[in-house]
Amino acid sequence: MMIDYSPKVIQEENKRHLRFDFILFFAVMALSGFGLLIIYSATRFSLPGGVTDPAFFLKRQAYAFAGGIFLFVILLFVDYKKIKRWWILIFVSGAALAFSPLVFGYEVHYTRSWIDLGFTTVQPSEIAKIFMVVSVSAIFSKWKGEKENQVGFKKVALSLAVAVVFTGLVLLQSDFGTSLVFFITYLGLLFISGANLLYFLGILGASTGLVFLGIRTGIIMEYQLDRILVVLRPDMQTGDIGYNLNQSMLAIGSGGVWGQGLFLGRQTNLNYVPEHQTDFIFSVIGEELGFIGCFVVILVLGVVIWRCFSISYQATDHFGSLIAAGLAFIILTQMLINIGMTIGIMPIIGIPLPFLSYGGTSLLALLMGLALVENVYMRRELRPYRQIAYEEFE
Amino acid sequence: MDSRIKRRIKVAVYLLAAVVTVLVLRLYFLQVMSGDLFAERAQENIVRTKSIPAPRGNIYDRNGNLLVKSIPFLAVAVEPRAVLASEESLQFLSRNLDLNQDELQEKLRKANISYLERIVLQQDIDEKTMVVFKENMSNLAGVELIEIYLREYNYGFLAAHVLGYTGEIDEETLSSEQFRGIYEGGDQIGISGIEQSYEEILRGIKGRATYEVDPLGRPVATVEKIDYIPGNDLYLTLDIELQGRVEELLYQAILEVREMPVETGSQETFNVPGGAVVVLEAQTGEVMAMASYPTFNPEVFVGGVSSQDWQYLNDPANMWPLNNRAVMSYPPGSSFKLVPAYAGLQEEVIDVNSRIGCAGTWFGLGRDFPKHCWRAGGHGAQNVYGGLAQSCNVFFYEVGYRLFNKNQNEEELLQKYARMFGFGQKTDLDLPFEGPGLVGDRAWKLDYFKDQAELSLWYPGDSVNLAIGQGDLRTTPLQMAQAYMMVANRGSYTTPHLVREVRDFSGDLFLEVEGEQREMELIDKYHLEVIEQGLYQVVTSGTAAGRFLGFPLDRIPVAGKTGTAEFVGRQNFGWFASYAPVGDPQYVVVAMLEEAGGGSASAAPLVRKIYDYLYNLEAFDDD
Repeated sequence: MMIDYSPKVIQEENKRHLRFDFILFFAVMALSGFGLLIIYSATRFSLPGGVTDPAFFLKRQAYAFAGGIFLFVILLFVDYKKIKRWWILIFVSGAALAFSPLVFGYEVHYTRSWIDLGFTTVQPSEIAKIFMVVSVSAIFSKWKGEKENQVGFKKVALSLAVAVVFTGLVLLQSDFGTSLVFFITYLGLLFISGANLLYFLGILGASTGLVFLGIRTGIIMEYQLDRILVVLRPDMQTGDIGYNLNQSMLAIGSGGVWGQGLFLGRQTNLNYVPEHQTDFIFSVIGEELGFIGCFVVILVLGVVIWRCFSISYQATDHFGSLIAAGLAFIILTQMLINIGMTIGIMPIIGIPLPFLSYGGTSLLALLMGLALVENVYMRRELRPYRQIAYEEFE
Repeated sequence: MDSRIKRRIKVAVYLLAAVVTVLVLRLYFLQVMSGDLFAERAQENIVRTKSIPAPRGNIYDRNGNLLVKSIPFLAVAVEPRAVLASEESLQFLSRNLDLNQDELQEKLRKANISYLERIVLQQDIDEKTMVVFKENMSNLAGVELIEIYLREYNYGFLAAHVLGYTGEIDEETLSSEQFRGIYEGGDQIGISGIEQSYEEILRGIKGRATYEVDPLGRPVATVEKIDYIPGNDLYLTLDIELQGRVEELLYQAILEVREMPVETGSQETFNVPGGAVVVLEAQTGEVMAMASYPTFNPEVFVGGVSSQDWQYLNDPANMWPLNNRAVMSYPPGSSFKLVPAYAGLQEEVIDVNSRIGCAGTWFGLGRDFPKHCWRAGGHGAQNVYGGLAQSCNVFFYEVGYRLFNKNQNEEELLQKYARMFGFGQKTDLDLPFEGPGLVGDRAWKLDYFKDQAELSLWYPGDSVNLAIGQGDLRTTPLQMAQAYMMVANRGSYTTPHLVREVRDFSGDLFLEVEGEQREMELIDKYHLEVIEQGLYQVVTSGTAAGRFLGFPLDRIPVAGKTGTAEFVGRQNFGWFASYAPVGDPQYVVVAMLEEAGGGSASAAPLVRKIYDYLYNLEAFDDD
């Protein structure tokens, strides 16, 4: 049987096909919406000085959510393939974002990763994550003049330089957690890029060695080290960090199977758990909604990540595939570290839980990134698949 | 995508599956398998227990007059940990309690390090502050208003040294073995006087309220409530009216003596920085009055003493008003002479009729060591009656010397008799900080001068000095009163005490306090009667005779002894120790005035005025 490859036929074919990943979209909407609810539950009694509106945090997060949906929709209309050629500009502006708190920022909990815009505060490194994913994906995909995409030394070296710039700038903000997310995401992209595994293992080994060197030479601060050690050495759990962990585990554990009920978490609402609307939001979920609630949340997060990988798998070009995988790695890393720390299997590293932690910048950045992922899904070319299908059929 | 990349994406998906599995398994362990355990531990977080302070027992005098009572006050208490975490609470507290924020923070941090769950920031807040706190209470983390009990003194500064005062328990006491768990931050505790020695009886038992809190920390349901039990009431042996009069007379006497010239015609007058009076009920050992000058007002300690007041009370220029001079040790001078007199008679170095000649100087230790009598011209030949009546030093030098020579002072007889009269050891009065006094002997001297061997031997001169109440001898006015009580009762006596009864809050008798019945080691009623006779002559014809002119000695015979104690570098201390009536003793009265010259001129008139009051004779005196 002959297949008609004429452009007209392909266009027809593509139009008939479903062009939007609704599972991903609804999973993200559900998580973000649920995030609003949990943030409200966590914050209505612990408000900053001078604030009396119990929905203070809820409203601010809702504005960010609305803004995120707006950006999401706008980005769907931009062909992601067209931004590939602007990757240097994206890298430079991403690096500028990561650099900006060092100039305009202020310090919170030892880290200097925030900028005050007057009407709100933002964390530029959250957005820079997406920029890094896009620029590294561009480097790993087919260059002009290449017949086939070959990820060799040149591409790896260039991408590593880009990743080091991002990670280094965030590290300069003393934001150890976020810089870790940057680097792990880069390692994920390197893996997915198809580069020789020796590059992957070499960079992984070298960076681990550097961290140890940093500890030995004292460049890595003691408080950062403590947060890591607290998981390995329970006897350290008497200080402030240990206190956080203890109270968080107490909250989650006391949730039992079904939880105390939404809005009824005492541990968290009585401020026993610190930072419970941001880094420790999972404690609130654990206490109020129990094992069932936690299970569902992890499952839905898992669905989001799975969809990203799936889109990466189905993508018809390297650039799109890598963008989708990059987002998957960001969410996976943050989920593992964030939930892991609240239940005592990961070091206490302050990074947000995707879609659920209070923090407008994080939510906005994730929605932007996922718009790109949907974009990849929408603009994948179906012909090769059909072709393969027919060929296999024959 | 080429197949290599697809394989790698699959690996990534397996990684995702692994992460999800690990997280879910861990959550299963925490929430499903250990959920109950964590819930139990979390329960501790939502159940709050607060103690309810118990009012401290009241203090009454022997006639049921209320001296000290407890009244409730509102105080601001805070949980250090919670307040430190809340900038808002910190600011509110520093603004409304007028505290420096840095100092407040420092104080809380220290309390937090000591694991104090609650400290009282301010006792006794005014109504305006209370309203401000109540309005803002719901927004303030770790701040609460609690009811505490503070003291009120119905008689002002009267009997301040006996009653003592209370104050907020300090951190050191709080963390000490003895008090841990019983007290908490902000609690009141007796710091001196009866308040301290009867702390356990006065403090009561705290109540406890256990309740659940809502997510904001507001109580929603009471789990358990145990009422407090108020402290027990004390009924003292003091007679507050007598106490008042005694304090007044002591003060007047001090003012009068301060006007007196040191010698006739001298410009220098006596300093009289302080003095003390003890009045005992002779049969029961009950302390009916105990006065010490200078005194203080215990009210300054209510709600925390101000630094200004504390400075005043501890400034050496103010002669230590907090000291209870009635139980402090002083050289006794001649008021001690009943001891050598009794010892001499008992040990048969003299008998009732032995006469010792006094020509103003005694050469018993050799020509090179003349010892003088207070009367330069001498007293002539004296027996023991005259020796006591005239307070003849020569007589007692000789008695002391003979006692020393008996068996080469093997038994240290003088010291033995001094101890028999209760000197050199505490009377076990129910007050803290009682001095034991001092009865110097060989062992003491050897130890005291252990670095100077040539001074460490006990010489005959030491015993001779002891015999007139000088040298290595210190007694408290209370010990002196006890010794005279022994003579009055012919050797059997009851130890002095300040509390008669303890009653619980409903008024039921809880405990009846009696002194300990004791007997002197060697009682010879005849010899004690001889001493008494000598002491009686002191008042009728001896050194204090002038001071008791006009006193109805026929009806109320008084036995007493003057004392003038030398104190290196200071003016003489005046004593008068006495009891009355002879034969059927009712009262023992001892007065001591620091740097007031001879006891005859300073202390004796004061004691006479006290007897005037005790026997309702004051009206006749006021001329």
